[in-house]
Amino acid sequence: MSFYDYAYLTSNDAMQFVKATGVTLYITLMSLFFGTVLGVLLGLVRCSKNRVVRTLPLLVIEPLRNSPLVTQLFLIYYGLPMVSRIMLDPYPAAILALSLNTAAFMGVLVHNSVSAVPDGQWEAGLALGHSRVSTFCHVIARQALRLLVPQAITLYISQLQCSSLVALISIMDLTKLGQNLALRTLRPFLVYGIVFLIYYVISSPLAALARRLEKKLAFHY
Amino acid sequence: MYKLNFNFLNKYGGMLLEGMWTTLALVVCCLAIGFVLGTVMALFKQSKVKPLRWFAAVWVDVLRNTPFLVQIFFFYYGLPVLGINTDPLATAIIALGINTSAPNCEIIRAGLMAVKKDYYECAAALGYTRFQTLWYFVLPISLRVAFKSLVNNFVNLVLTSSVCFSITVVETMGAAKIIVGRVSRPFEVYLLILVCYCIFTYIVSFAAKLIDKKIRIKL
Repeated sequence: MSFYDYAYLTSNDAMQFVKATGVTLYITLMSLFFGTVLGVLLGLVRCSKNRVVRTLPLLVIEPLRNSPLVTQLFLIYYGLPMVSRIMLDPYPAAILALSLNTAAFMGVLVHNSVSAVPDGQWEAGLALGHSRVSTFCHVIARQALRLLVPQAITLYISQLQCSSLVALISIMDLTKLGQNLALRTLRPFLVYGIVFLIYYVISSPLAALARRLEKKLAFHY
Repeated sequence: MYKLNFNFLNKYGGMLLEGMWTTLALVVCCLAIGFVLGTVMALFKQSKVKPLRWFAAVWVDVLRNTPFLVQIFFFYYGLPVLGINTDPLATAIIALGINTSAPNCEIIRAGLMAVKKDYYECAAALGYTRFQTLWYFVLPISLRVAFKSLVNNFVNLVLTSSVCFSITVVETMGAAKIIVGRVSRPFEVYLLILVCYCIFTYIVSFAAKLIDKKIRIKL
């Protein structure tokens, strides 16, 4: 193998791209799943009637929303083993950090979309003899969902982009692979072009879907 | 039980402050670039010339659907191939400015849409040229409408700027990383950085709320 062989992308590299895309998708999907579950919980607690209970989730949400994801990631990956016995591998650390971050944004989205439903809907439900929980499940939730779904998809897209940051804790995802290959082949335009294309192909249909749903589900009271 | 120890601040506090200063400079430059580019792109999107519209659409679409980390690597490692030497800070400013122009464009466009047809007719009736209409009528109104979202985007920009350490810019996060390497107290250092970012973004959001109250208009 001569020097010039290293300067080209081989079929082996193509397999690497597939694998790295898998890693990116795996981390994104896992963290979106946990993040959404936790975020919906946080959002629902935010909608509580009790003022003290209502402000509790803010303690989690606000710091996570107002600090960079990289710092959170490094705090969990490098910082946590210093102060506790918890020593996470790169993958769990990445998924934990991304999930928490997603949860914070999701919590705000859920809270916003629930409070965007007019009070009249609550009153109507209660007047018909439903309990608060029943009103929420049968009347409020589905109206809130109309607002929530397009925004949640937009959030998912941005979290997909954010998942590229896991490359900084040495996970071999798409970004890290791009970096390695660009250094080896010395063809940054080609390699990063491919990386751009893969991210674009994944997230662009989602963006189109979000736009379409936003128009379709829009509802004016 | 682990005891938090912030003694490293005696020796490296200055470095951290310098990093914050760099972050601030970086962010302000990017704000200017992103704002101007975003406004231009928003106007392109509204333009009657089709190629301009397409250009703006592709610009925003590509920037929004690809990660910033890859974009900054693209600029940092890609430009030297074209024979342009890259300085980390300059590259970071360019990449981040371009990146933030995409959401800015969408926000300003939403502001432009808020200006109703009557305003254009009103301006035309008063004999304003197209450019004057834009400058004296449309932009002031739409920027006021967009102000809140623009500030949100600025906060986002501040948070994203922390990624720039990956191309060896010594901003807040970069300084933190260097300090961690020297004193090996990652938890304290990163926690401190996290709190600093929180405080800064809170101040920005708070100031924005006050300003927004002053300049808000009913359309």
